[in-house]
Amino acid sequence: MSHGDTIPLHPSSQSDIDEIENLINVGPATVLPARPTSPPRASIPVSSSLFIPSNLPPPAPSAPAAAYQKAPTAVPPSVPSAESSRGGIAADGFGSPPNTLTEPVWDTVRRDLSRIVSNLKLVVFPNPFREDPGKALRDWDLWGPFFFIVFLGLTLSWSASVKKSEVFAVAFAVLAAGAIILTLNVLLLGGHIIFFQSLSLLGYCLFPLDIGALICMLEDNVIIKIIVVSITLAWSSWAAYPFMSAAVNPRRKALALYPVFLMYISVGFLIIAID
Amino acid sequence: MDRLQPPRENYANPKTCFFHVFFKAAALAFYILSALFFNSFVIIFVVTVLLAALDFWVVKNVSGRILVGLRWWNEINEQGESVWKFECLDQESLARVNKKDSWLFWWTLYLTAVAWIFLGIFSLIRFQADYLLVVGVCLSLSIANIVGFTKCRKDAKKQIQQFASQTIASRFSSTLQSAFSVV
Repeated sequence: MSHGDTIPLHPSSQSDIDEIENLINVGPATVLPARPTSPPRASIPVSSSLFIPSNLPPPAPSAPAAAYQKAPTAVPPSVPSAESSRGGIAADGFGSPPNTLTEPVWDTVRRDLSRIVSNLKLVVFPNPFREDPGKALRDWDLWGPFFFIVFLGLTLSWSASVKKSEVFAVAFAVLAAGAIILTLNVLLLGGHIIFFQSLSLLGYCLFPLDIGALICMLEDNVIIKIIVVSITLAWSSWAAYPFMSAAVNPRRKALALYPVFLMYISVGFLIIAID
Repeated sequence: MDRLQPPRENYANPKTCFFHVFFKAAALAFYILSALFFNSFVIIFVVTVLLAALDFWVVKNVSGRILVGLRWWNEINEQGESVWKFECLDQESLARVNKKDSWLFWWTLYLTAVAWIFLGIFSLIRFQADYLLVVGVCLSLSIANIVGFTKCRKDAKKQIQQFASQTIASRFSSTLQSAFSVV
């Protein structure tokens, strides 16, 4: 199996043996205190359960997340001495609370929900991170986009007086396929973007259009519909612009952005034209 | 305390097992039976996909952790690259995982994917593109979980081998140490 996506397993065992020797010599008294869990950036810290995670924890940035169970931090091969040093702590991984591998379910739910909210705020509302797109959707998730796409489909389907199922299916398929194709477009233009991050972004940028569709559903006047849709369309495009444009070569910005605008405009037309 | 295993070992986490199976079964049942009750494709789509998505989340975040002690996720590191992480519990806990739990976990995972493939073939035969969409979404969610957890397991086996070799290495070096200290 290729490990193309994963950080390669830790280096030569010689350094591991050296480290083991050091720990054996120094003894269990030098157990480092456990670092706090869940650094604010990463919502799922890299936890070193007593076992070695299959990817070496990245050196500095997510190192704070590495220590649980009072084991020496960021030293994966220290298994033998860590076992002796853990003394009073429950000997099984299930029993130690700080490890996210064993956290209660409600914590996971809350963590994911708060991640959705924070992603939404990052993408759609003005905030200081917009200039650095790589930072903004670091913790991408696909729940938000899922809800927004379904909501948009439902709203459109509700507004339609005939052929409700087709409207929903078309809206969902167009948006989902559109997001995938747009991402492929950026990748093929030689841009640097991560597939799921871009899907996530395009989904979150649907939020203004969701609001527009909701308002249009409640409102019958065509002029008002056009105004509302134009405003929300502009908002969506403004939200999507920095990420997509930063991902590609400046000379190809228009090539990457044009299909995005096209997709949102077509959704906007769908919203206006539905009756 | 009696060290022998009782003849019938029970599920260690019945509630988790229940939820693990519940959402899968609900999605499949709803999809299959809904044609009898609902005419509207929209409801079928939304409810089935919602149940499948909930099942995906439950398996990935809850039952994977609790029933078999495995977890996988994706992170984006400082350089902006995407990194897939696979993690498992330590060796002792892994050995203590309830056999029935893990049997249930893996079998239902595989069976659901097979069931969705069958349903996909049916809708293909009947030329129903929209139902194929539903099946496609649910199938991709199942397969994502299967691939993720299988990778976790393979890494777990690799770690066991490494652990074994390192324990041997450490014992070896400690005997060397003691040998040299005696000299």
